[in-house]
Parts: sequence; structure tokens; C-alpha cells
Amino acid sequence: MSIKPLVAPVALVVVAAFAVPASAGNKLVPAGQRIAVAKSAMTVQPGTEWNKLSERPGRKAETWTQDGDELNDLTFYGGIESGKPLFREVDRKNQPLPKVSATMLITDIPVLLENSYRIALGAASVRIDTIEPIPFAGAKGVHFTYTFSKQNETLQRRGDARGAIIGGKLYLVTYEAPSLYYYDRSAAAARVVADSVQF
Amino acid sequence: MRNPLPALVPAFLLAAAMGTAAIAADKRPPLPTYTQAYTPTTVDERGLWMEADERERVQRESRSLVKDPALNAYVRGVLCRTVGEDRCRSVRLYIDEVPAFNAFMTPNGAMVVWTGLLLRVRSEAELGAILGHEFGHFELRHSLKDFRSHRIGTDLMAWASILVRNSGNLQYAMVGQMYAFSRDQEREADMTGFQYLARSQYPSSAAADVWVNVMGEADATAIGRKGRAQHKYVAGVFATHPTDLARATYLRAAAIEAHDVKPAVVDTHQAAMAKWLPIFLNDQIKLNDFGGSEYLLANLAGAGGWTTPLLCARGDLYRERGNPRDLVSAAQFYQEAIARGDAPPEAYRGLGLSLLRSQQLAEGRAALVDYLRLQPAAPDAALIATLVAQ
Repeated sequence: MSIKPLVAPVALVVVAAFAVPASAGNKLVPAGQRIAVAKSAMTVQPGTEWNKLSERPGRKAETWTQDGDELNDLTFYGGIESGKPLFREVDRKNQPLPKVSATMLITDIPVLLENSYRIALGAASVRIDTIEPIPFAGAKGVHFTYTFSKQNETLQRRGDARGAIIGGKLYLVTYEAPSLYYYDRSAAAARVVADSVQF
Repeated sequence: MRNPLPALVPAFLLAAAMGTAAIAADKRPPLPTYTQAYTPTTVDERGLWMEADERERVQRESRSLVKDPALNAYVRGVLCRTVGEDRCRSVRLYIDEVPAFNAFMTPNGAMVVWTGLLLRVRSEAELGAILGHEFGHFELRHSLKDFRSHRIGTDLMAWASILVRNSGNLQYAMVGQMYAFSRDQEREADMTGFQYLARSQYPSSAAADVWVNVMGEADATAIGRKGRAQHKYVAGVFATHPTDLARATYLRAAAIEAHDVKPAVVDTHQAAMAKWLPIFLNDQIKLNDFGGSEYLLANLAGAGGWTTPLLCARGDLYRERGNPRDLVSAAQFYQEAIARGDAPPEAYRGLGLSLLRSQQLAEGRAALVDYLRLQPAAPDAALIATLVAQ
């Protein structure tokens, strides 16, 4: 038995120990500048300052916040391909998330988000409240609002999302915050960003 | 049989001590002693009750609580008919809208029933079997005994350990994260629950039926996710529950031994569930568990035929998986539902969307037009209208 296999894990631990804390990767998003989001061709122009979190919900997604993660989250999904889930799967074998399909209709976008949340949050209390057609970066899109709370939590959260299937890929922008205080606090700023989506 | 006499003598004495032949004929193990308005006696028990009281407060304010008086009355009625009027009276019942197979009772006497359980049982007797089991835990003060033996506070109590694929995965275990039960206690509660059932108006064979169905669904889920179906008779070292196979086997043996012949009672399970069935089915369909959901639907249809809500749910299940062949099947299920004459407008919506995704544009739009005609104020009417206009 050689000692080689041990080297890699040890090196990994050493690197991890000296790595900068995750929070250090957060970046300020300046107001008034057009910026590409979620590793995609999608660009937005914020009217106020936001913070981009270093932790991504998925490979092709990113989250901005003003007061902190889960207090007011503005999340961009930049072209989720057919066969991929909306966000990272925690347990692919036992807890698979629904997948994006190139043949999805715009009515399927709210359903995909609802079902993914139900599974990931362990909550049956995800409810789509309103749903309406909207132009999204020139394409036929959907705008919907929803409420949800996590399992074992009495805190109600609200969400507002708009998205479209463009070229067989899903583009989506969501704004989520607790209904109490935080939702209204940044809703207008989030709307400015969502309204500015371009390709 | 070398010396039969010593064995005979105690048996004779026992029968004599009991006094009457009628009591001597009842060989069933006695039920635990019932105490009205029991209050905790030791510091451990008071601590457990305090925690349970706090959890009950959170549970009572949960947003997912089903408050429908009729459904609550039905579940309470089954509990009362299983464990007896005096025992059930002090139980606080909470129905929680969580689509997994679970129920539990806290040490202070609150019973929490998840809607996934209501969806999975097919009769009052099967529901009574589960509720009786949970009540058995409570009456035998299992939480306290367990707390004393472990001293590590809380642990998860997932009802169906084998249903990890279905329920544990959803972090629902957090809710049941209260009271760990050893396998012996589970077995004890199984048998106490069985005794309640045997003394009730319900057939005692229902207890084993529940576990057979749970195994079937777990297999279907595993196969649907390209896993392997497997059942073991012996539980693993760290399992909190006996395996479902073991439970089904010993409960079946007990039912055969009890051999109770009871007059058939009118079963109100389907009638009580009618209003809630579409909602609970919808919760189940959204779990992205094609195999398990399909098994469950077939199981429900086996009890009462393919009714309109079941057909619509099956259409939704196939449409949401969305393979080309699924869309064809989904359209057929919606059409069957519509042909039955009592389909909700959503059946036309599902049919239209399935056909659109199958590139049958004209027929799909026609179905969506029907949906909008039947439900002009639907929340998604404006969005559906854009699909019709395309």
C-alpha cells in the first residue's frame, strides 16, 4: 500500500484551511452600470447598489442581496438547459428535482419553480398567487407572484418572478423576501433590475 | 411432553383466579391502564411535556395546518372508534398538510397526522391501525422511557423508515425530530395498536395491509428512480423501526391468530376524503416521484375505480414528466376524465397543454378555449389566452 492516496486529501484540507472565508467573495454591484449576470448573455442595469453573493444556487445562477441572504434575494437563472434542474440538487438519488425541458410552455415555468421549492424546502405551503403574461427581454414571458414558508417555520415569504423560454433554455429572475418588512423594503429596487433585462 | 403436569397446574390456578369462564376465554393481552387527565410525575417527564407543549404551540400556528372541521371530525371519529371514547377525548388532533406517510403523538397527548397518511390509507380500518399504533406509544409513555434510556434528547421519528425515498428526503423528518423510539418500542406499540384494533369494530387484518402497501410504494419509487427494490426482514443496527416486511409479517400472524369475524361497517373514508382528495393528490404529484405516485394512484383506483380526480391527477403526473409518450398518455387520461361528465375545468386545461406540447396545436387550443369558457376568471386566464392566440 503506497502512501500516495493520502496526499491529495491532506492537500485539500490544507488548502481549505487557508482559503479565504466564503463571505469574502461577495462583491458590490454598483448602481447605474449594465452588467452581465449568471454567466450568461443576460444583462441588467441596477438603479441602486446590490451585493452579489459568492455562493451560487446553481452553475448558471447568481444571487444578489441588499440586507443579507434570505432577507432580500434577487436571483438570476441564466439559460438553464434542457435536462437540468432549476438549482443545485442536494440529493440527486433520493430527492431529484424536476428538470427543465426544451418543450416547456410558459405555463410550465411557475410549476417548475413551485415543485422545485416544494421538494427542496420540504414545504407543501408553496402557493402561486398571481400569474400573467409579460414581455421578457423581447420574448413572450410569464410574470408570477408566490408565497411560501419553509417546513417548521411560521415566517411567510413572498416571491415575484418573471421569465421565459428562449432558444430552449430557461431564463428567470426572482425576487424573494420575508413578507414582514423586508419584501417591501427592496421590492422597488428589484423591479428596476428585473425590468432592465436585455440580451 | 415429558412432564405435562407442572405446566398444567399454573394454568389451572390462573383460570381459577380469574373466576369466570368468560374472562378466562379472553386470551388477549390486556390494554394499558387508562388514566384520565394524566399529569407528568417526574422531573424528566415534566421537561418532556414542557418541550412538547412548546412544539404544540408552533404546530397549532403552522401555516400548513388543515383546519377543515369535517376532516378533523372524521379523523377524530376513527381514532375514537379504534381506541375508545374515553381514551380519545383528551387527544388534541392536528392535521398537517405534508405529503408524506407519517403520524406521531407527543408525550403531552397531541396527535399530528400528515395528509400523506390520509391519502395512502384506503379505509377507516387502515387509518385506525396507524392511529392506534401512535396512541399506543403515548399510552405506554414511550417518549419518557426512551429519554431515560438514551438521555440524548431528541431524534427523528420517521414513521416509515423504508420510505426514506419518499418522505425522509424532504426534510420532513425535522418535524418528527422529537422522540426516538427503539425497535422494541415500535413493536410494542404495533401490538398495542393491534389490540385496540382487535377490540374495535374494524378488522384487525388492516394493520398488516398498511405495511404491504407501504412496501409496494417504496419499491415503485425505487424502480421509478432507476434504483433497486429491496426489502429486508432484519432491521439494521441503527434502524429506529423494525423493517416493514417484519411488521407486515408479525401483524398478519397476529390477525390470523385473533381471527376476528366482525360485521361489515359502512366505510366513510372515501366520502370524508372526497373534498380533499384533489388537493392531497396535487401535493403528491408535485413531489417528482413518478413511480411512487403512479403506484399510489393505482392503489387508490383499486379500491374505488378510476374516478375523475384520480384520472386528472394521473394526467398531471404524466404531463409534468413530459416525455413525448407521457404527453400522449396524459391527454388520454384527461379525455377519459372529461368523458365521465364531472371533470373540473382544469381537465380541459391539462388536455390543452398536453396537446400543445405534443404539437397538436389546433386540438390543444380548442381545449384551452373550453377551459377559458368554463373558467373565465381563472387566475391564469390571461396567460392561457396568449397560448390560444399564438
